[in-house]
Amino acid sequence: MTSLILQTASKLIVPLALLFAAYMTLKGHNAPGGGFIGGLCFAVTLILLRMGVGPEVFNRMVPLHPRVLVFVGLAVAFLTGLVPLLMGYPFLTSYVTDLQLPLGASVHFASALFFDVGVLLVVVGTSVGMILRLSQEVEA
Amino acid sequence: MPDQPVPVSSVMLMTAVFAPVAAGIITLFLPRKRTTLRVLISLAGMALAFGLVYAQVAQIAPTSAAGRAGTAVIPWIPVLNLNLAFLADGLGGFFALLVSGIGVLIVLYARGYFGDEPDDLYRFYPTLGFFATAMLGIVLADYTLLTLLFWEMTSISSFLLIGWDRYDKHAVKLAMQAFYTTGLGGLGLLGGILLFGLETDVWRWSEFLPAAGEDSPAWWLPEYGEISWTNPMLGAFLLMFFGAATKSAQFPFHYWLPGAMAAPTPVSAYLHSATMVKAGVFLVARLSPVFWALDVWPWLVIPLGAITMTMAALIAINQHDLKRIFAYTTVSQLGLLMCALGLGALKYTDHHNNSFSVINWDITQIANHAFYKAPLFIIAGALGHVASRDITQLNGVFKKQPAMCITLILAGFALAGLPGSISFQAKELFLYAIYHSYQTIGSWWLILMAAAIVTAVCNVAIFVRLTTTVLGLPGGMTADMGCPAHDDHAHHHHVDATGFWGSMMWVPAAVLVAFQFIGGIAPGVWEYFIRPFETNINYEGFQYLPSLGYILADTFKEGPSIPLICSMIAIACGLILGFLPVFRGAIKDVCDQIYPTVYWLAVTGGRRAFMLVQTGNFRTYTVMVLGAFLIGFAGSVLRDPRIIDPVYEAMSRGGEFWPGILLGAIIIVTALALPLTDSRVVRVLILGACGFAVVGMYLVYRAPDLALTQLMFEIISVLLFVLVLRLLPRDESKSRVPRWWRGLIAAAMGIAFGWMTIVAATTPRDHTLTEGLLLGEMFARHSYKGTELTAGRGGGGDNIVNVILVDFRGFDTLGEITVLALAALGVWSLIPRRRSPKV
Repeated sequence: MTSLILQTASKLIVPLALLFAAYMTLKGHNAPGGGFIGGLCFAVTLILLRMGVGPEVFNRMVPLHPRVLVFVGLAVAFLTGLVPLLMGYPFLTSYVTDLQLPLGASVHFASALFFDVGVLLVVVGTSVGMILRLSQEVEA
Repeated sequence: MPDQPVPVSSVMLMTAVFAPVAAGIITLFLPRKRTTLRVLISLAGMALAFGLVYAQVAQIAPTSAAGRAGTAVIPWIPVLNLNLAFLADGLGGFFALLVSGIGVLIVLYARGYFGDEPDDLYRFYPTLGFFATAMLGIVLADYTLLTLLFWEMTSISSFLLIGWDRYDKHAVKLAMQAFYTTGLGGLGLLGGILLFGLETDVWRWSEFLPAAGEDSPAWWLPEYGEISWTNPMLGAFLLMFFGAATKSAQFPFHYWLPGAMAAPTPVSAYLHSATMVKAGVFLVARLSPVFWALDVWPWLVIPLGAITMTMAALIAINQHDLKRIFAYTTVSQLGLLMCALGLGALKYTDHHNNSFSVINWDITQIANHAFYKAPLFIIAGALGHVASRDITQLNGVFKKQPAMCITLILAGFALAGLPGSISFQAKELFLYAIYHSYQTIGSWWLILMAAAIVTAVCNVAIFVRLTTTVLGLPGGMTADMGCPAHDDHAHHHHVDATGFWGSMMWVPAAVLVAFQFIGGIAPGVWEYFIRPFETNINYEGFQYLPSLGYILADTFKEGPSIPLICSMIAIACGLILGFLPVFRGAIKDVCDQIYPTVYWLAVTGGRRAFMLVQTGNFRTYTVMVLGAFLIGFAGSVLRDPRIIDPVYEAMSRGGEFWPGILLGAIIIVTALALPLTDSRVVRVLILGACGFAVVGMYLVYRAPDLALTQLMFEIISVLLFVLVLRLLPRDESKSRVPRWWRGLIAAAMGIAFGWMTIVAATTPRDHTLTEGLLLGEMFARHSYKGTELTAGRGGGGDNIVNVILVDFRGFDTLGEITVLALAALGVWSLIPRRRSPKV
């Protein structure tokens, strides 16, 4: 069920959408965005890609089973919580700092970002995984 | 500084507790054939425990203030009030010596019993060590919860040992029966300990018990005033007593103990006569100094003990299987011990106007039973090996097995409580306690005395029958009497051991019985060993255990006392009954049906409930879950009517903003339209419309984060629905729940959730903590920088929604993504991959 228009358009849209998803995730702490939104955006993009290029090409482009993403995401989120515990703070305590960059710029950084990345991975893995499995069922 | 509590070594007692199981584990690593080494290591474990406990009680007098203080605390789980500390006071120290001492003999006996069979011994010694550790733990633990832990461990080890023959379905069933019965009691004990601990903050027996010499045992009484039915102390006592009653096989829970005779005889002799079944008696004795003050104590414990005692004795005399006979006499004796401890709550005032508890020498009472009942079981097992366990088959067996039969007769002599064994004095002490109770309970003592006499008559008759049967004398049981008792189990098939190990079939019994007669003939020796453990030596006349000579002299001087007359009546009647041809059938105990009946009810009822609830219909499940939630919510609204106020307030401000009203109207209309349509596709479309209206709602109320999330979510859910709808079968199933009823539940659910959101958003949090801030204000204020309310910590972000997700409520988010992952796992496993080898 691939169409030429979608196939061509997806080549343009997918990189932009992925960039947007990454942007959403990174700036989430201080402006609209965050792991959930970024993850959903990411997932929609991947599904669009699969619709565009078809399952075979998609499987070649993304050779990863989504369950790996789910597992890694959960692990990252959990480890983010464990690190402060090892340092004597309560579970999941966030560490906030301003990283100084060259040329006088600075980036506001919170260690909760790692947690957000974990959330993103789980959301992507779950939604993509479910939809892939169901579409396989439909296509079978 | 004699009053200073000596810090005694916790480590020493802890080593004593864990020595048997450690030795058992070591034997697991031996080659299978090294039987003798196996025996020696297990023996060393028990002996080490005995030695350490003995060193402890020899160093610090168990009944002194130091002995009652408990050892230093080794922290384990302080939050749960569960630490390692041990208490070798009179009661605990005595039980520990009893358990480890008899353990040594049982290790030897097991070698004789199981013979040279490496497979049995390989499994047996570790399990036995596990039990011995558990039992030592019960009696030596100072923390109440630690006692409970070990208590449950004895239930487990008892289960393992009763079901020793894993291929015998009957034995396994009996093991389950014992496990469930004592396990239920264990739950009661847990409840009692928790209730008592939470009320009084006392989690150690050494704090629980009154200090030595303290006159008012019920230190908690003033605080709780009169004992009424609502007093938590009463509940705590009843729960703990329930645990003790099941463990010590009190009526009507006694059925598990005769059932436990499916175990190999070393187990019966050790667990089910001498030690584990006394755990309940031990617990009641532990509780007694404090709970004696409860009015309910004598009215509960004495009748229960007396009923158990009499009933079990009457059943015992009507059994043919040796082990069942001794099992029921054990139940009877446990009832007697309970009854004696129950009597302890009563007061006796002597002619000097001194008032004290009516029981005396209760440790002697407990020790006495162990020293004759374990030998009886040991010999029963030995005879089962070489001849039969059925008494009707044992006529004249003395000619073939003189040593065993002599030990059996001597132990039976003590069972009957005849003069010359310590049993006789113990029975006298019990009868005296009953006699002295007349001051408190009036003529009820006559009933108790009658019960005691009936019990004693049965015991004497059993002794007479045993003796006449094995000697082949007239009056003994013969093979033509009744049907044979059930066969021995499969763990008897090996070749009998001979020589040294063969003699171990009866020598341990002879050793134990010897104590009976040393105590009976020379009470001074007995006193020397037992007196340090006794706390209840009250009555003037019992400062020393009376010897037979003393009793005779006293009788000639002042005439026989009432208890002595009763004792003599019992012996005379017992001798006559023993020779009479009545009460010789093998009767069944009706209480044996209790467990199967309860089991059947549970299984049948469970099946009914299952059929009712688990219909396999998704709609029914949903209705049940949502209905339960709604009932809970309605309950909380009724409980706290303040939940209603925020709704009025929110409604009064509802008409301020027209885009909100418009979008809200769209949401409501689409939501209400959902259940009205039949087509699934239309429903998905309407749901989508509803979702996009929600997106608009978020936008007009300036929540870009939520709007974005909702938007993405709508896209994905529409994709999912499109796929799922193609896979779903046609909807033809008829739900048992009518449609309007489902619509009603859905509407109620929506209202409840909206309501909860309003309450959560508009109710100030705890005033002392946040100065009445609303939840939203609280988050908004601390999103970036913390204030003193959050101990200076802030989220370090400007996006409140994100900070809530990853920081304030990070734990919730972690839970949510875990649920997400589980849902994905569910989809992957419920819809298995069919064709394509790769995703």
